[in-house]
Amino acid sequence: MLAIPRQLARLPGWTALVLWTAAVLLPLYILVVSCFKTTAEIYDNRLGLPQSFAFDNFVAAWTRADLGQNFINSLIVTGGAVILTIIVSAMAAYPLSRYRLGWNGIMLGLFLSGIMLPIRLASVELFTLMRNLGLLDSLIGLILVYSAIRIPFAVFIFANFMSVLPSELDEAARMDGAGEARILFQIVLPMVKPAISIVAIFTAIAVWNDFFFPLIFIFDDRYKTVPLAISVFVGQFRTDWGLVFASLAISMAPILIMYCLLARQIREGVGSGGGAK
Amino acid sequence: MIARRRKSSLQRTQQRMAVLFIVPALAVYALFVLYPLLMSLWGSFFVWRGLRMLEFAGLSNFTRLFVFPSGGRLYGALWHNVAWFFGIMLFQNGLGLLLAWLLFLRAKGAAFFQSVFFFPAVLSPVIVGALWRLLLAPGGTIEWMLNGLGLHQGSLTVLGNSHTALVMLIAVDAWNWMGLPVLIYTAGLRQISSQIFEAARLDGAGSGRMLVSVALPLLMPAVGTLTTLSFINTFNQFDIVYVMQGVQGNPSYSTDTLVTYFYRLAFGAEGAVGITDIGLALALGTLLFLILSIGTLVMLRFFDRRTVQL
Repeated sequence: MLAIPRQLARLPGWTALVLWTAAVLLPLYILVVSCFKTTAEIYDNRLGLPQSFAFDNFVAAWTRADLGQNFINSLIVTGGAVILTIIVSAMAAYPLSRYRLGWNGIMLGLFLSGIMLPIRLASVELFTLMRNLGLLDSLIGLILVYSAIRIPFAVFIFANFMSVLPSELDEAARMDGAGEARILFQIVLPMVKPAISIVAIFTAIAVWNDFFFPLIFIFDDRYKTVPLAISVFVGQFRTDWGLVFASLAISMAPILIMYCLLARQIREGVGSGGGAK
Repeated sequence: MIARRRKSSLQRTQQRMAVLFIVPALAVYALFVLYPLLMSLWGSFFVWRGLRMLEFAGLSNFTRLFVFPSGGRLYGALWHNVAWFFGIMLFQNGLGLLLAWLLFLRAKGAAFFQSVFFFPAVLSPVIVGALWRLLLAPGGTIEWMLNGLGLHQGSLTVLGNSHTALVMLIAVDAWNWMGLPVLIYTAGLRQISSQIFEAARLDGAGSGRMLVSVALPLLMPAVGTLTTLSFINTFNQFDIVYVMQGVQGNPSYSTDTLVTYFYRLAFGAEGAVGITDIGLALALGTLLFLILSIGTLVMLRFFDRRTVQL
């Protein structure tokens, strides 16, 4: 008898949770089914499944709108920025967290101050710098800028993870005659794999999604990244809704796959640090 | 003696290796973040012609920023950012606390709901903005649904109406980031000892009372983190406005933000002729930098004092 009021009391709570779930999933559902519809079909049949699962819109987005090239560019920039950020940040974090230098604190502080810096406000001077270095309209330029922006967060994460490893670890290796580079890459780095995955995940998301810097630095269609291309499509193919929906689906596919595989790590990473942006 | 010499030689090696190891990261970071930022702050005190820095101008860029014709734009954009911040605090972080509390009370399914709620946060704001622009467009699916439910009639023009457009953008931003407060609050709630909730329950506190009087004071670090993050993100708001309303913050600048205004000044889409005004842009950048730095410091101190120690 007591169980019923208790279940009933929980009903408003469940309703709220289910409502927000619907608010999240319904737009995404509409996005997915609309990819397979023509514009006329989108108007006639808003929420239903498409008449056929034709890939016309995907093909049109990939070839006619040239999203394929944008996709490859985004992969290169994201991959390059993730690798460069991980290597240089792990290298910097190793002495800062494990040597007694006397200036560890100041140097760490200099890096950490970058986590909060509003770098967009420096975009005028950054533009001049990139132009002088010949890095406008260049994927390498984007990789360098993104790495620079993500280094503070990565150094912070690596230093945190490395500082709690036992000091016997590198001392023993040093006794055996291992060089410092070998200690870092073959002994310390394999022990901070969770840090590597946190840095890789959040750098990849931030870089894949960014729109501001390609907007400023990329003018040539051949070097545009996916978010920049999407922002153009929305206006350009305004009447061809199926194509726009399909290009949105293509651009979120890599993130969706990564999210399904790594949802737990992402949840825990954000819950503990809030370092998603 | 030998041990000491070995130790100092180790320290010398370490100093040398440390410099070698830190230089690549420091060089990239200093060149592409610190240098442009410092130059931008410095440059805001100079007269500019195009991208060329001319003579020292004192505070004249700043005084120009606050008077006609820039003053109206500045106050408009500033007000939109402030409204955006409070909107996010209420819709996103307020509703997020409620959802986190509901998940905390339920043993099952929390991970599933958390994953669903956070998913939009890993999407590009460009995708989110484009998706909602299509859904909210006249003739779009939201219009169709509201008409079908009898809640609205005719064409839905919320994005074209200067009274509703900003509210819609704030709601889309909240939809985008709702998962963040949910994850941070649930993590915070799980760190609170269950004995505290048990004691409150024995004292006869209901669920709502327990959230407000027991959990919330203990969640102050999480509230502080979220308030600071929301403040920083709100005052950097650009992508959603650009994709949904264009760089002018249409209609008639009613969704203009400080960064969209900055972008127009710096990269030439302001005014009828669309020329750049670098001096004004850098002054706005410096002002925004001050707002963000001072705001962040004040918030961190404010929440630090209100952290309850047990």
